[in-house]
Order: sequence, then C-alpha cells, then structure tokens
Amino acid sequence: MSPLGLLSKGEKAEVVEIRIQKGYCQGTGKNQACHAEDMGLRTGKVIEMLNNGGGGPILLKVDESRIAISRGMAMKIMVKKTGCRD
Amino acid sequence: MSSELSRGEETSPVQSSDSNDVAAGFSLRNERETITVAVAGNPNSGKSTLINAIAGTRLYVGNWPGVTVEKKSAVFEHEGRKIKLVDLPGTYSLSPYTQEEIIARDYLVREKPDVIINVVDATNIERNLYLTVQLLELGIPLVIALNIYDEAEQKGYKINTMAMEEMLGVKVVPTVATKKSGLNELLKVVTKVVDNPSRYTPKHLNYGEDIESAAVSVQGHIMKQNPSLNNKYPLRWLAFKLMEGDSHVMEEASLKIDDAFVEKATIHLKKAHGDDIESIMADERYALASGLTREVVKRPEVRKMEITEKIDRVVLNRFLGIPVFLAAMWIVFKFTFDLSQPFGDWIDGATAGPISRLAAKAITAVNGPLWVASLTTEGVIAGVGFVLAFVPVIFAMMFFITFLEGSGYMARAAFVMDRAMHSMGLHGKSFIPMLLGFGCNVPGIYATRTLENPRDKALTALLLPLMSCGARLPVYVVFIGAFFSAHAGTVLWSMYVMGIALAVLMGVIFKRTLFRGESPMFIMELPPYRMPSLKSLMIHTWEKGKHFLIKAGTYIFAVSILVWFLLNLPWGVENKKDSYLGKAGQVIAPALAPIGFGNWEAASSLVTGLIAKEIVVGSMAEIYAVQQEDEETTTVSDDLKEIGSSFLTAVRDSFRNVFATLGIASISAEEDEGASGLKTVIQKTFTPLTAYAFMAFVLLYMPCVVVAIAMKHEFGSWKWFGVAFAYQMGLAWVVAMIIYQGGRILGIG
Ligand SMILES: Nc1nc2c(ncn2[C@@H]2O[C@H](COP(=O)(O)OP(=O)(O)OP(=O)(O)O)[C@@H](O)[C@H]2O)c(=O)[nH]1
Ligand SMILES: [Mg+2]
Repeated sequence: MSPLGLLSKGEKAEVVEIRIQKGYCQGTGKNQACHAEDMGLRTGKVIEMLNNGGGGPILLKVDESRIAISRGMAMKIMVKKTGCRD
Repeated sequence: MSSELSRGEETSPVQSSDSNDVAAGFSLRNERETITVAVAGNPNSGKSTLINAIAGTRLYVGNWPGVTVEKKSAVFEHEGRKIKLVDLPGTYSLSPYTQEEIIARDYLVREKPDVIINVVDATNIERNLYLTVQLLELGIPLVIALNIYDEAEQKGYKINTMAMEEMLGVKVVPTVATKKSGLNELLKVVTKVVDNPSRYTPKHLNYGEDIESAAVSVQGHIMKQNPSLNNKYPLRWLAFKLMEGDSHVMEEASLKIDDAFVEKATIHLKKAHGDDIESIMADERYALASGLTREVVKRPEVRKMEITEKIDRVVLNRFLGIPVFLAAMWIVFKFTFDLSQPFGDWIDGATAGPISRLAAKAITAVNGPLWVASLTTEGVIAGVGFVLAFVPVIFAMMFFITFLEGSGYMARAAFVMDRAMHSMGLHGKSFIPMLLGFGCNVPGIYATRTLENPRDKALTALLLPLMSCGARLPVYVVFIGAFFSAHAGTVLWSMYVMGIALAVLMGVIFKRTLFRGESPMFIMELPPYRMPSLKSLMIHTWEKGKHFLIKAGTYIFAVSILVWFLLNLPWGVENKKDSYLGKAGQVIAPALAPIGFGNWEAASSLVTGLIAKEIVVGSMAEIYAVQQEDEETTTVSDDLKEIGSSFLTAVRDSFRNVFATLGIASISAEEDEGASGLKTVIQKTFTPLTAYAFMAFVLLYMPCVVVAIAMKHEFGSWKWFGVAFAYQMGLAWVVAMIIYQGGRILGIG
C-alpha cells in the first residue's frame, strides 16, 4: 500500500483507503464531506496516473474522466498498484 | 444567500414553429399554467447548451466545470403551451456542501418543478448516474437526456437505452445538444410525462434490506410527528436525509423529531455496516450506479489513446506547462492587437474626421448654436467615438477568451498555475476566475462562487482587479500605438503578465496579513478538449462584448457630456486649464509628479476613469481637444467615401498583420500615416518611459464602479471593495514610481 501521490505516470492502482477527514476539501463547516468521492474517486476503484510531475497537482484517470487533485490530498489516499498500462 | 440575483433571470420567448397543430381536445389541458422543467446534471454535461438549443437563449456555455453558478431560466412556447426551463448549476451530488449543490437542491425541493430533465454525459455514465440516483429520491418525474451522445459513439460505446429505461423506470432520450439532435424527441417525452405524472413517477430503487427497513420506520415516525409536512416534501427523501443527519434539511423543514427514535430505527443498520450512515448511503447509491452502468454500457476492448491525453502530455508537462501558458497568452495578445488595430484606427479616423465634419455640418445646417456643435463634436463624438474605436480590440480579445473557454484549456491553466497560486495560499482553481477577469472583471467576481472556501473567495476577488480587463485595453492601445508600435504585441502582453505577477506578490503579502492560513486541498475535473463551433464562438463573443457597447452608449456617453461641461465651465472659460476639471486635475497633479505624469491633463483623465477605465482615453481626447487640422472643405459625399475606402484598407491591413504574425508574409512595420490626433499630442507630452508608467498606473489604480457593485453583491458588504480600493491605489502609485524613477536612473526616457 502506498500513497497515491507516489505513483508514476502510466501506473494503475486500486484505491484502498481515503484518509481525508471529511470536510477537508470544502472548507469551513464541520460536517462537510469530500467531493472526491462524489466524483468517483472512492475505495475499490481502479485509477490510472496520467500526470505526476514535480510538486504540483497530479492528474488521474477515474472512470472516463480526468481529475486533478492537489498533491497534499494525493498523499492521503492510499492505493495498491495493479499494473501498468500496456 | 445570493440565489435571487437580479441578473439571474434571463428569458427569451421563442415561438415554436409547430405551435399551430394542437388538437382541439388538448386545449383544456393546455391552458394550465407554465410547465416548469428543471435541468439538472453533472458540471459540464451540456445543460446550458441544451437549453440554448431548445429555447434559443444565449446562456453562458464553456468547456470547463462550473460555468453556470446561478440558476437561470428560459421560457418558450411549445405546441401552444409555455415551458420554463430552469438551468441549474452543475453538481456531482445533492449533498449540501457547496454553494452550487445548495442552489440546485433548494430549487428542486422548494419549487417542485413539474419534471426534471437530468442531463447525463454519455461518455461518463457511471458518475453521472450517481447523481441520477439521488435525483430519483426526490420523487419528481424525471427524464434523462443522454447528452454528448456523439462523443460516446465515437469512443465506440454501446449504450442500451432500453435497458436503462427499464431499470430506472424513467425515459431516456439520446441527445447531442451542440447539433440540436434528439431535442424534439426529448420535448415530446417531457410533455408526455407532464400530462401523465402519475404514470411516470420514478421507481424506488432498492437500497438493500437494512436501509429500506430503517427508512420505512423513520418515514412512519415523521408522518406521526409532523402530519402537516406530508405533502411538502418527498417522504422517502426526508427519511433518508434524517438518517444521514442532514441538519440543513431538518432546519428547513422545521421537523419535529425524536432523535432517540431515529437512533433506534438505524441501530441495526449501524450494527451491520458501521456508524457513518452518510457513507453507507453514498456507497449504496454508488453501487446502484455502477451496477446499472455495467448492465447498460459496452465499452470497446482496446482503448485508444485519446487526443486529449496527447495534448495534455505537452500542455501539462512539468517543465513545459508554464511556458506553454505564457506563449499561448502572447499569441492571444499579439493576434488581438494585430487583427483589430486597423479597424480601431478606421473607427477612430472616421469619427474624428468625416463623422465629426458631418455632424458639424448638420448642426450648422439647422442653425444650431456653436456650443452645441462643440458639445457634439468635442464632447460626444470625441469621447464616445474614442471609446468606440476600441470596440474591435475588445471584441477580438473576447473572441480569444471565448475560444480558450470553449477549447477546454481553461481548466488546464488552473492546473498549471496551481503551484504559483500556492505561494499565495490559494490553489489552481482560483485561477479560473482570474483568467475570466481578462475579459471583464465582473464575471470573474461572480465565478469566485465555485470556490467553496470563503477565505479563497475573498482573496481571489481581491486580487482579481489586477487582471487586466477589456476596458483597460483602449488605454494601452493608444499609448502603445504612440510609442511602442514596433513591439505592440509584446508590450501589451507585458501589461497582462505584470498584472499576474503583482497578483502573486500581493497574494503573498495578503497571505501573511489579512488571510492567514492554508487553502484546503482542491479537486477539479479536466474536461476533454473540444473544438468550439464558429457559431457558438460568435454568439458568446458577442454576449461578452456587447456589455462594452452598452456601456459606451450609456454611461460613457453621459460621462463624455459631463466631461465636456466640466471642461467648459465656468462658462466661457478661455483656457481648459482653468475649467473645473482642469482645476481638479491641477490639485492632483503634484501627487503624480514623482511617477512621471504630473500634468493636469493626465490627472483629470485619471479622475474621470474612476467610473470606467475606457473613459481615460475618451477624456484625454476631449481634454486635448484633438483639432482636425484639415481646413479644406469637404462635401458630404467625400466624407462618406472616405469612411468606406478607409474600411477596405482596414480589412486589408488586418489580414496582412495576421499573416505577418504567422510569418507567411512579412511586411515592414508600416507607416502610420493617419496617426490620429491624440497619438500625436501624447507623443509630445509623454515619453516612452512615462507612457509605460501611465499604462501600469491605469492597469492597477482601482477596480471600476461595476466591479465595486459586483463585490458588494457577492460579499454583502463594501468591505472587500474598500480593501481593494486602498491597496490598489497604493500599488499603482508605487509601481508607476518604480518604473519611472528606475527608468530614469537607468537612463531610459
Ligand atoms: N460533443 C458534444 N459536446 C457537447 C454537447 N453538449 C454540450 N457540449 C459541450 O460541452 C461543454 C459544456 O457545455 P455547457 O452547456 O456549458 O455545460 P453545463 O452542463 O451547463 O456546465 P456547468 O454550467 O458548468 O454545470 C461545452 O463545450 C459544449 O460545447 C454534445 O451533445 N456533444
Ligand atoms: Mg451551464
């Protein structure tokens, strides 16, 4: 298991755990959930790393969409590698 | 909250062509009031495009998530009945966390539309159905528009719409909103559903034994405790929300609920699945959506690498990303300038020359007094005409911004700029409102609504006026034309880059002072690249640019007249320097001396520019009262001919410029024969150095009145505008001072 942010381009992985405290993405209210799951990034999903360069945000392929997430968030999502794109 | 903005309602009645063949038997039912149709769906699924295609409206469309932030409606007539389509902001779910979600949800729950058109992106069914499942909970009849069907077909997806209808218990109509296909069928289905709502109430999807039985007992409890609520809210939905602990709904419905009861009803659920009922429900909904998707969508075995991915490899590359962005901007500004400059010169030449002469002749012909002639030519035509001369450049700029929005690059720029934005405690998403600000700061201010965090929102709005908007272009164009015509594109580009750089700098300062803390993490979808159609480019360019025309016709017109009076009062003043405006300018001028333009003319025009920055050049034209030296008498037909022939020259020059930019043809920096009067005058009063300092000052010195109002509107107080005003004045002065004094030390100018 490793953080999503450490995958390199082209690698695929299954999301194992999202260690983001609810409310982290949306700011103030105490009971806020994270958009990530509404956008399809949830445990069990196989995702592909499309872009992971330097310290900026990363780009994932989740289902049919490309989702950019900030690095800090990517480090809090744990994944299990499942292979590379052929 | 600001969901009832005055600009919110946009209606455009369109008569449907087949409105005559309504069977008489229907007429009774047709007399019923307007049919209200809510259009809901994921961001960027084509909701606004669909409404535009159906109702002939011109709602704001762009290829990035979060274009629509306000609900808007369009009314049109179909088969003799009025249909009101309500465009809701795109959402990924109906949880009450972001402002868009709340707007969409409140509308659906409170206003009870007759039917929902759920726009589903056919290329991404699973995620879209997750929202569909939640919409179905509301119990409102629903029709799915399976939009972007063309791209799904291109990708080789086979979608079994029949199976989808069967499983969801709703009608599914494939549509391609951009090509207007499937829309008649969609309308037909919608009216059928409206006429027979009981036949089309959506199915209750099965959430599994545990959830269902808990929901049933909660429902019973709600009924007992709140008999009055029965018809106000969908009961099953209310029960779900209660179980999820949605406090927003409980308050809104002022539910009387025994917490212990809900606790008891869900105890089994919690034992079996864990404490977090909200997540359990979300998982269940997601499982339904993905199960459905597996059943109805067949994807081709091998997936081709899409063009979007190929482009992204370059555009989002860690080393190339920012250079590509800056290069793209440079090309935009170069083209903007080159394309439009000849037309601007044409309007300028025409208003200053032939049109002024024609107006003067007309007034003398009717024996109008001399001062009226002066007011018309030196006031109205010089002031408004001068601003109108910049309509081409503004439209050219809007065209490129519309193109950026439609292509899908907008969200990429946000991605690329994320690191720079981090230095000021913001993240990449804040860059989208800023980029929009290049067109006009006002929509940029409203776009800050897509930022969930109030701190981000305020900080972004505060920095946004540093983005050089279309109204500042006229000033640059005049000064660049007078001093830097050999490097026009680059100098223009440098103003925009200066704005961005200073925004970063100010952001860093604000982060340490007014806005401590980190911005939360961000997540954003990057849409596929799309080629915007020429027609939609034209429409949305016009929609953006027309505001400048309206401004020119209204308050710039008024201010021009006012300026003329201020320049000619006390009545009969000999020297403009002694007029009211001149005196005011003289008072301010000393403060501007250290920054290079301490003359009353510059000071006075800056004062008038507080209303709108275009006015700066309009006023200058009036102040310097650009005299047409031509004494030779011309006939009316000469004047008209001149306008026509110079237009043809403008078209030719514009083409030549573009080819020169592309390096296909090379023309030598061409003679500027008819350099208009104002340029000649400012060449005498400014130097290249003071001109550049002046341009920087105009870029920075304050947000215009309309931005002030927008800020008040979004934040409910004048506070942020006050902060913006104060820091911008200071910044403008300091930057202009550094440019001027620094340049002098270096021996420039
Ligand atoms: N190929 C294709 N593109 C479409 C179709 N419908 C819309 N689009 C494009 O999808 C993009 C998004 O369209 P919008 O109408 O702004 O989407 P929206 O759902 O209103 O988005 P938000 O306001 O952000 O929620 C635009 O670039 C449209 O041109 C379609 O049927 N086919
Ligand atoms: Mg929209």
